[in-house]
Amino acid sequence: MILEKYLMKRGYIGLWCILVASLIFFVVTSSMDTITIGNLELRNSGIMERLTLNPDSVNNGNNGTIATDTVPQVHTMKQTVDTTAQTILFIGDSMLEGLSPRMAAYAKENGHKMYTVVWYSSTSNVWGSCDTLRTFIRRFKPTYILLCLGANELFVKDIEKKRDRYVKTILKQIGDIPYLWIGPPNWKPDTGINRLIASNVREGSFFLSDGMEFDRTKDGAHPTRSSAAQWMDSIVRWMPRNAAHIIRLDLPQSQSARPDRVVVLQPKR
Amino acid sequence: MDLTIVWHNICELLSYDKDAPMIFSSGIFWLLFILFLPIYALLKKRRWQMTAFVIAFSLYFYYKSSGLFFLMLVGTSLFDWGLSHLMIRMKSTIARKLCVTASLVASLGILSYFKYTNFFLWNWNTMVEGNFQPLDIALPVGISFYTFQSISYIVDVYKGRVAPTRTWMDYIFFLSFFPALVAGPIVRADYFLPQIAENRKASTHDIYYGFWLIILGIIKKAIIADYISQYNDLIFASPTGYSGFESLMGVIGYTMQIYCDFSGYSDMAIGISLIMGFRLSANFDFPYKAKNLTEFWRRWHISLSSWLRDYLYIPLGGNRKGTFRTYLNNFLTMLIGGLWHGAAWKFVFWGAMHGVGLAIHKASRPLLDRIPDVWPVKAISWAVTMTCVSLLWVFFRADSWNDSWLIIRNIFSGFSLDYVIPFVSVRYVWCIMMAVIISAHAMPRRWFDRMGQLFVKMPWIMKLVVFIAVVQTVIQFMSEEVSPFIYFRF
Repeated sequence: MILEKYLMKRGYIGLWCILVASLIFFVVTSSMDTITIGNLELRNSGIMERLTLNPDSVNNGNNGTIATDTVPQVHTMKQTVDTTAQTILFIGDSMLEGLSPRMAAYAKENGHKMYTVVWYSSTSNVWGSCDTLRTFIRRFKPTYILLCLGANELFVKDIEKKRDRYVKTILKQIGDIPYLWIGPPNWKPDTGINRLIASNVREGSFFLSDGMEFDRTKDGAHPTRSSAAQWMDSIVRWMPRNAAHIIRLDLPQSQSARPDRVVVLQPKR
Repeated sequence: MDLTIVWHNICELLSYDKDAPMIFSSGIFWLLFILFLPIYALLKKRRWQMTAFVIAFSLYFYYKSSGLFFLMLVGTSLFDWGLSHLMIRMKSTIARKLCVTASLVASLGILSYFKYTNFFLWNWNTMVEGNFQPLDIALPVGISFYTFQSISYIVDVYKGRVAPTRTWMDYIFFLSFFPALVAGPIVRADYFLPQIAENRKASTHDIYYGFWLIILGIIKKAIIADYISQYNDLIFASPTGYSGFESLMGVIGYTMQIYCDFSGYSDMAIGISLIMGFRLSANFDFPYKAKNLTEFWRRWHISLSSWLRDYLYIPLGGNRKGTFRTYLNNFLTMLIGGLWHGAAWKFVFWGAMHGVGLAIHKASRPLLDRIPDVWPVKAISWAVTMTCVSLLWVFFRADSWNDSWLIIRNIFSGFSLDYVIPFVSVRYVWCIMMAVIISAHAMPRRWFDRMGQLFVKMPWIMKLVVFIAVVQTVIQFMSEEVSPFIYFRF
């Protein structure tokens, strides 16, 4: 009580103590594993992560490649094109806002059906800890799955330890259906999400978006609509030489289209 | 923990990065403020040391936002201060006028070069059908704000409203004062310079009330504005991609976003100043309560509108030269006000339309005054004003003229109430945020004052809990990058 009165009376000392105590709180919580209060998972301030991040151990997210040019990929496979009409299920986070309309234009041009499921702010652990994906696979019966996930977990510490099982669960839910996992469009070096996905997926089923340059919206993260369309074009151009399963994707006449169905899931908070 | 890596990362955080300017809602600012505060408190009584320390911190703050352009700020201050002293030594009116002109030409010339060169070249090339190649000119952060401050100083000295500061340090303290440096409020020399001389001690009440304003600003900017902007950006990025109802929500959302963003920044700036013992004038007074455009401009960005009134509208003749000139002066003032916001025709149009709106309101005043001021009339007046203001924000925000019209056309042609329930169920957090800010706007001012007083009287530990809770909420909602203030780029 005496201390309380002292701090209240001495304005600058009291305020400084509030700021320092808050800083200590956020530094301590940022060095801890996930904290949950009830169903709410407290996000990390990232202070410790920012201070201890080794600049040499992360990917360089900007090597000057533009979205129209696909970055060099490791695999160079030659597959025949599956020309049958497909049912495409496109799932992922808010990045689908930009990718999905362009992909829908490809689908429409080539006679494919396309269903989009956007789950805002979702991550691999969100998709990997529920059977939402399995439910949509049952409902839409896709013959090809596109995923774009990872943008919301670029900076998760110890990601390989924390998210490996969720990535494996997602892939298990996909099963034998041909798929392509589109990596997140890094705006800063990641802590290993791209490496984690690449180490789990089948050969020719991962498109590394890190290293491409995008025009971004004001939030600094999402590519603009036109840049996202170029991103989708890059993926399509990459597929014939690199993808494990190639479907027919001739260049569409229209810039964008509406998928046959769009399902929007609320952010999980 | 490898200390060399930590040291490397700290050095990286402290050095200039054009993609990571220092703003009040960024973590690095608060880390530095924790270091700043005790030193400031210790030096507060020693005026010279305090002034030197705040100038050093302000220049570093500007360096973090604009790199070596902080040297230009130093140069501008030296030039203006020198001219102001030269001016008061001059007996001849012509010589004094020459000094003012030299200062105005220098200040406005620098501003024009950085802000309007490419705009001018683009227009020129369009006229002569040339091939436009934009020059690589980076706009120094906050240049529009501190240029107006330097103009207010030199004009006030010329008019004899203020005496020139005794030392250059006092002047650069005024010009570079970090709370108001990059996005206002625009500090007026006659209001601020006496405070430097007085060096008033901040009371405990001031310190905690300032802290309350900072918390309020964080809630407005980093929680509400940044969150609702995510949806609004989708609408403006794809003008025809959404239904009329969704587009309308995007427009209303942006109307609230720009208010929360800018007034949140102003609250933080005023709060930090108050903690330091300096008072900045209010910048917003519930602008969306206005029942006509004249009232709106008395409540919105008050420091800019009063600056434009005193240094542009009145020198142009104000309302002293007949009805037509009054309207014309009003129109020209708003046109320049629009151009101040950015080098693009959309800002000129936005300003011009506000000028037209103000003229129409002034012209119809005799008629309006005859209508009884009962609540249905008030409601209609408010609705008309809000519609005008919101629709004009569309031109301000949209990427192009064409996009603006597409959004407005979409609202009227593609409107259907069928979208209400799906929208609310999917965007419920957005709706909650909007409900909070609209309700807050409807609250009487005295409620806010009372909340501030309650916070000041709260036990210390409760203040700590409130602050941690607010910052954690920011972390919960924030995108990975801190969004810059909308007015940061002006």
